[in-house]
Parts: sequence; C-alpha cells; structure tokens
Amino acid sequence: MKKRTLWKTIVALVISIIHILPFYIAITVAFKPKTNLSSRWLLPKVLNLDNFKMAIEKAHVLMAIKNSVIITSIAIACVMLIGAMAAYPLARNRTKLNRFILNLILAVMMVPPLSILVPLVKMMSDINGISTYWGIILVVTTFQLPMSIFLYTNFITTIPNSLDEAATIDGCSRFSIFYRIILPLLKPVTASVVILTGVFIWNDYQFSLYLLQSPSKRVVTLAVSTFFAQSSTNLGAASAAALIAILPIAALFIFLQKYFIRGMVDSAVKG
Amino acid sequence: MKKLLSFMLVLVMMLGFTACNSGNKAGGKKVKLTMMTHFQSSENVTAELEAAIAGFMKENSNIEVELIPGTSEYEPLMKSKMASNDLPDLWTTHGWSVLRYSEYLTEIENEPWVKDLHPAIRPVITSKEGHIYVLPMDVDVAGIAYNKEVVAQAGVDVTTIKTWGQLFEAMDKVKAMGITPVHIGGKDNWTVGNFFDWVAPAIFITDENNYSGEELKTGTFDTDKWKVAAELMKTLKDKEYINVDVLTSTYPDSARALGEGQAAFEFYGNAVLSEAWTYNPDAKLGFFPVPAYYKGDQPSLISGERTTIGIWKDTEHPEEAKALLTYFAKPEVMKKVASANRIPAGLVNVDSDTGKLSDSYEQWKDTEAFPYFDREFLPSGMWDTMCSTGTGLLADDMSAQDAANKMLEDYKKLYTE
Amino acid sequence: MKQLLSNKNSINIMYLPALILFAVFVIYPFTSGIRISFTNWNGFSQSFSYVGWDNFKYLFTDKNMLTSFINTLLYGFGSTILQQMLGLSYALLLNKAFRGRTLARMMIYLPVLIAPVIMGYMYYFFFQYNYGALNDILMLFGLDKLDWLANGNRAVGIVIAVNTIQFCGISMVLYLAGLQGIPTAYYEAANIDGASKFRQFTHVTLPLLMPSIVTSVTINLIGGLKLFDVIKALTNGGPGYASHSISTLIDYTYFKNQTAGYSSAMGILLFIFIVIVSLSLQLYFRKKEVEY
Repeated sequence: MKKRTLWKTIVALVISIIHILPFYIAITVAFKPKTNLSSRWLLPKVLNLDNFKMAIEKAHVLMAIKNSVIITSIAIACVMLIGAMAAYPLARNRTKLNRFILNLILAVMMVPPLSILVPLVKMMSDINGISTYWGIILVVTTFQLPMSIFLYTNFITTIPNSLDEAATIDGCSRFSIFYRIILPLLKPVTASVVILTGVFIWNDYQFSLYLLQSPSKRVVTLAVSTFFAQSSTNLGAASAAALIAILPIAALFIFLQKYFIRGMVDSAVKG
Repeated sequence: MKKLLSFMLVLVMMLGFTACNSGNKAGGKKVKLTMMTHFQSSENVTAELEAAIAGFMKENSNIEVELIPGTSEYEPLMKSKMASNDLPDLWTTHGWSVLRYSEYLTEIENEPWVKDLHPAIRPVITSKEGHIYVLPMDVDVAGIAYNKEVVAQAGVDVTTIKTWGQLFEAMDKVKAMGITPVHIGGKDNWTVGNFFDWVAPAIFITDENNYSGEELKTGTFDTDKWKVAAELMKTLKDKEYINVDVLTSTYPDSARALGEGQAAFEFYGNAVLSEAWTYNPDAKLGFFPVPAYYKGDQPSLISGERTTIGIWKDTEHPEEAKALLTYFAKPEVMKKVASANRIPAGLVNVDSDTGKLSDSYEQWKDTEAFPYFDREFLPSGMWDTMCSTGTGLLADDMSAQDAANKMLEDYKKLYTE
Repeated sequence: MKQLLSNKNSINIMYLPALILFAVFVIYPFTSGIRISFTNWNGFSQSFSYVGWDNFKYLFTDKNMLTSFINTLLYGFGSTILQQMLGLSYALLLNKAFRGRTLARMMIYLPVLIAPVIMGYMYYFFFQYNYGALNDILMLFGLDKLDWLANGNRAVGIVIAVNTIQFCGISMVLYLAGLQGIPTAYYEAANIDGASKFRQFTHVTLPLLMPSIVTSVTINLIGGLKLFDVIKALTNGGPGYASHSISTLIDYTYFKNQTAGYSSAMGILLFIFIVIVSLSLQLYFRKKEVEY
C-alpha cells in the first residue's frame, strides 16, 4: 500500500513546491536589506528584520489588517444574507420577470469595475462615502453579491419544492418557509460563498485604492502598495508587508480548511 | 457558521486592542488639513516632510495636518479626485502644476516667498498667464545621470562631451568594456517619454538659430525636427547602446544598474541618483549636461519639479493652508526637505545641502537649464504620445517617421488656442 | 395581510435590497459611463464637449484595441481551459488518501488567498531579465539569460500561466467536492459492466461533475476576461501594446492617455461582449445539465 502511494506523495510534493515558490522568493527578498544584491534564491546569512519593522511602522500593516478584517467580515455577512434572500424568490419563482432579473444580476458580475470607477468615486464623494467603512463595504458587497446569488440560486433550485409545499399546507407563510426551512439548509453552500467572495473582498485593490484614501482606513493591499511609487520602490518592505498580511488569512484558512472543504462537498452533493 | 463568525469577531477584537494606536485624540475645534504627496512612505523626503509638519503643528496647536504618502497609483488617484472635485487641501504636483493641476489649484503668486524663487524653477511653475500655483521646496536641475567609476574606467571625461557624436563615442567605449551604456526601464513607459524631454530641447529650443518655441506655442509642429529626436532613440537601440530588457525592466532596475555600475548613463531626473544610492550607498554618481545637437550650440540642463506643493482652490481652510506653505518656505524648514533629495532648494535664500551631488552642481552652475519640453511647449495630453511612440520605436513597431507623424496627429488634435 | 404574504409573487420583495444596491452602485455609475463615452473628456477636467459616435467609430479602427481584444479572449478562454485541466487533474490526484495530501491541497489553494496584484509582483521577480529568479537558474547552467516578457506572444502565455497557477486552486476545490459527491456504487456498477477506467471517467465521472464544471468555468471565465492586476504587475501591457487586455487598455487610455471618453466606450464594448459570452455559456450549460 505504502509503495503504491509513494509516487503520489512525490508528485504532490513537486506540485506544492511549484505553487509556493513565489512565497519563498518573497521571503528571501523580505529578509534582505535593499543593499544586499545577492540572488533571490539565496537566503540571507543574517536575518534582517528592518523591512518588517518598516512594514509595521511606515505602512501600519497591523492597522491595515484590522481594517481588512472589519471590512471583510461585515461585507461577507451582507453578501451572505442579502444574497440568500435574493436567491430564494429567484430560484422558486421562475417568472419571466425573475428570469430577466437573474440575468441582469449575472450581467452585473461582468461589469468591468474600471468602466464605472470614476463615476462611482464621484458619487461616493458626493455622499461623503470616501474613506468610510460603510462606503467600501457597500461597494464590495454589491460587486460580490452576483456571485453569491448565483451560487445560492443554483443550490436552492436543487432543494425539492415539495418541502415548501408541505410547509405551506401547514400554514407557514412564504417568508417563514425561507427562514425556517430553506435557510438552515443553506449551510453547506454558504461555505462556498464565504470562501469565494471572502477572498475577493480581502484582496480588493481597485475599489479600496480609490475609496479608502485616509491612511487610518487603509486595507492590506493598500499597505503593501505604499512602498511603490513612480520614482522609488522598496521591494523588501513591500514583500515584508505582503507576508505579514498573508498570515491572518492563511491561519484562518488552515484553521477552517476541513470545514470549508466539507462544506464544498456537501453543497456539491446537493448541487 | 457560528464558529466562523465568532472566530472573526475574536480576531476583530484582538486586532482592535493591539493595533489601534491612532485613537481619537480629544480636540476642541481643530482645523484639519490633509496633504497628499507622490513620495512613497519609506523615502527620506517623506520623513523630512513629516518632521516639518510636526514642527508646524507645534507652532500652530489649532491646526492638525495629515500627510498621506503616495503609491504607484498616485496619478490615477489624483485624476479621479479632480474629476469629482474632491481634493486634499494640499498636494504635490510632480511636474504638472501648470499643465494638469492648475484648474484645481489656488493662485499664490502674491505670497511673500515668490520674489525669492530659484530662476531655474520660476519658468517651470509659471503659467502662460503668469500665475504661480505651487511652492517649490526644491528644484530638480538635472542632466544625464552617470556612474563616475564606470565612465572613468572607460577613459571618458564627461566634461569633454559637448555633442551627440561625442556622447555616442563615449557609449562605444563603455560598451567595449561589456557594460550597458544606457539603461532605460521601459516597462512603465514614462521612462521612455522622459528621454525625449531630455533630448528635445537641444533640437527645438536651446539653439538660437533653430528656435521653434514660438511656433510650437502657436500651433505649428515640425515633424522633421521630431524625427531627429526619434532617430536618436533609434540609434540607441540599433547600436545596442541600450539595455536589452528596455521594454520589460523597471525604473528601480535602472537605479540599481546605475548604483551597481552595470550601466553608465541614464536620462532621468536626479531622483534616480537618490534611488541608486539606496542600493549602493558607496556608488560614485553625478550628472552632466545634455549635449548640444546643432553646431555652435552649448550643452544644457533640464529643470523640473520635484517637491512642489499647491493648495486646492476650494479648500475650506485657505488661510491655514497658506500658513503651512509659509512655514515650509522658511529657510531652516525648506533646507531640510531639499537636502533629503540632495538637490538645490526652490528659493534662492535657502541653501540646501546637496551632499554627494555638490560637486556636480558646482561643476555645472553656469550651464543654462531649460524646463521639461512637453510641459512648456506641447499641449496637455502629448506626454503620453511621447511615451507610447517611444515604446513603439523600441519595439520596432514604428519608424522614426511614424513616430513623428503620430506626434503631429496628436498635436493637431490636442492643440487649442 | 395573510393572503398577501402567501401570494407567490410577494416573496419577490426579498430581492429588493440586492436590486437597490445594484441600481445605486452599478447601474447609476454605469449610465454616467455611457454619457462619458460620447464626450472627449480627458478624465479630470471639468470642461469637455460631446463628440457623438466618434469614440465608438474609432474603436473599430484602433489596432491596439484589436490586439487587446484577442488577448482578452486568450486570457479568458486560455486560462479557463488550463484551470479546468489542472484543477481536475489535481482533484483526481488528491481525491484518494495518501501521505501529504492535505499539505498539497493547502499549498495549491494558498495562492488563491493572495491579492493578484501582489502575486503578479512575486512572479515578476521570477521572469525579470536581470536579477530574475528564472534567469539565475539559466546562468547556473551556463545558459544565456532570456528576456522572458520581451516577446509579445510569450508574455501573453506567461500571464495566462501565472493566472492559472494562482487560481486553479478554486477549480481543484470545486472538483474535489464534486468527486466526493459521486457515490462509489456507480463505479462498482461500471466495473461489473466491464467498463475501462477511461470509459468510467467519460461516462460516470464527467457527467456527474457537471454542476462543479458549470460553477468552475463560470467563475474562471469571468475572472479571466476581466483579468487586470496580474497583467499590470507582470508586463504592464507591454512590450508595446502586445499583452494588453481590454481591462488594462481601459485603464491606460483613461488615466495615462487621458482619453476618458474613448476609454468609456471601450468599457461598454467589453461589458456587452462579456455579457454575450457568458449568457450563451449559461444557456449551453443549462441544456447540457438537462441532457444528463
């Protein structure tokens, strides 16, 4: 048995290495001062922590992580709730109007953010939404909602309609059916929604760049970018900031990994 | 699901306690000013600006100033902010105070420090109508940046380089040593456009007998002259004077190559020297004037904005913003900021410490400096045409004639009375 | 009231919050974008004038637009196909228990968690001519350095590869989930019928994976067609215009070239195009799903 799976272990190891090579390079860059010009493959002889110090002091990367956590968690909650609510009528009421609306929502998923960026920034500044948590949360929620509605609608379609009908006979209103019967069944697909949309929200750069300008509201992607300017770049500090910023989400992923994959499996069984 | 949510909540709270060091300070009726700069957060000049602001806040306890360092997306960000007319109270204009930002800046030519403006920066920041919009903390008088050790090894004396022919000879000598004569990091194509700002004055402006400044400002663009500039770039490419990775390397690569002695000459402002020294603090670097093109003409320098600060025309606190500029104009304050960039201060009554560059400045103090060509003589929007046609030349997508024709086409499109 | 609540259409109000968000944050700014596309606005001035259909007409004569359009197709379909192949192979490999499986799953998924703009820079460290990690290896073997990103076609290929490597983790997880949802009884039955491994794969595994395939292809395709950050970090659209996608070209024309009106016209074209592609894909998949 052992022998037969050995080749798999080796293949898996090679694949893993290919996928995490860029992280290795980022680590060697982050631990070297700018004046160390050795190959990027080589680890430094002396671990230099200046870049990490700079990432924390100049880019305020810890505060950025806090901002990212606040924005991401609230936005994910909104994406889950509003998405599940919207998906229920769209999956159950297949009228012409609803079909049109579903297509409209899918179309929203495809709007290139750049083509609406400047009008959006203009509007947000008119309603004082620049550099506020609520401003960015509403925008990223809106742009991740289609994905969530898409996944929830697909999933609810697979829940037998007879469940709803039985409940209607028992005198439940359509709303309480959603709340009491459908919502609890959505747990597994919610895992997919959280993973897929959460990652995009956490990693959002474009919207954050234009909507979060105050340094006290900076998120992790912006903190990393503070070391890039047209006439000067500090790759070491940027790498250090990126590595620090990866830690919480990687830890979260490792911690919840089993739960995520099981959730994906459950949703696929039913989906 | 509950597990996930509670985990996130705990995380939020933990971070809230550990990282929340910018808590609200109690303050009655403080005026708050926001100032944005294009410098990134770990540059020396950012630290000096922060120190200057701290000094200002100490003197004016009712004013709070927040400095926001830039990112590589500073320009698009500022453009989106102009579009929505929602700008910071003050910001740095990185070469564009007149051509791009003047519509949104306060005219400040009546400020007391204007009489002391450095002669090399005055034309750069003065509009056609004679308005001035920014306080220059320094003035970037630059030429061709070079690595002294490499050039000396090649047996070249830069003081003898007066013409383009002599410059190409010098490049040949450098190339013979196996070192790249010229480095341009053209992945982000502004570096390519910059080359034309360096060479165009010698072709269009500096020579009295071949002066085209007036026609350029009145609607005539001479393609034959531009073809000359384009051909200079073509020569760099065809004779392999330029680095092979010109289209994929970046500006920091240029700085590093210069600092490490892997490249001899570069066509950038003096910021590249500061950046090169961050890679190799011991490098021997300097600059020398751009050679003349026409017979009988003299080499010249290029002067431009580096740290120039303007005030938003719709700021709610114009008096406080002006007070901040007045504070910045104080010799002891300005000196520190200009010294961080190792370039001359923007006012003549301020003596900055140009440090490792002092010998270059001393050497060329009598050489005439001309403003960035496109900011002075071309309509707004031509800058990108310079950059993209330059890249087209380097990628062999365009001939020198094509590049000149494209310049004329866009010039006609963008020129207004 | 009770009657109203039990009316089938009354539950439609549940999608109102979503629609309001879309109206305010997408549709309203998008219509402003449409207005801009009929102007010669430079992207920051308060003054501009209307130019009619000029911007749209120019779209069809602009050769950079054509290049970026073809590239967008390559980025969209190229990385989608590669991601499915890689994701499915990984899922098949990592579906059965063996030592190192969990670690491999995690390592393959890890890049998904990184912001694409950061990932792009990490890979730029690889492909750079000087100081690049890949060229360091070439030099170690005494080979000449190669300027990886200097050739337009190769640059496009590298962007597709980087995007694939970063996001095939999503496909892998979706396929893993799909595979684990297939009851083993189906394979047992197929074994009894004497079906070969390959036939089992095409006749049992693939059809039953259809829901995973639909989700994965949709997500990857939209991501690929909208690809932006990776291109910006790796090639910045270069050499010349050779690796621009429509998204990066929109960014370039808007902010660098200062032709925001033209840029908006391009954005509208991209939107219409992506809608057509993905809606027809949806229709195709819906038919397929019914067939199986």
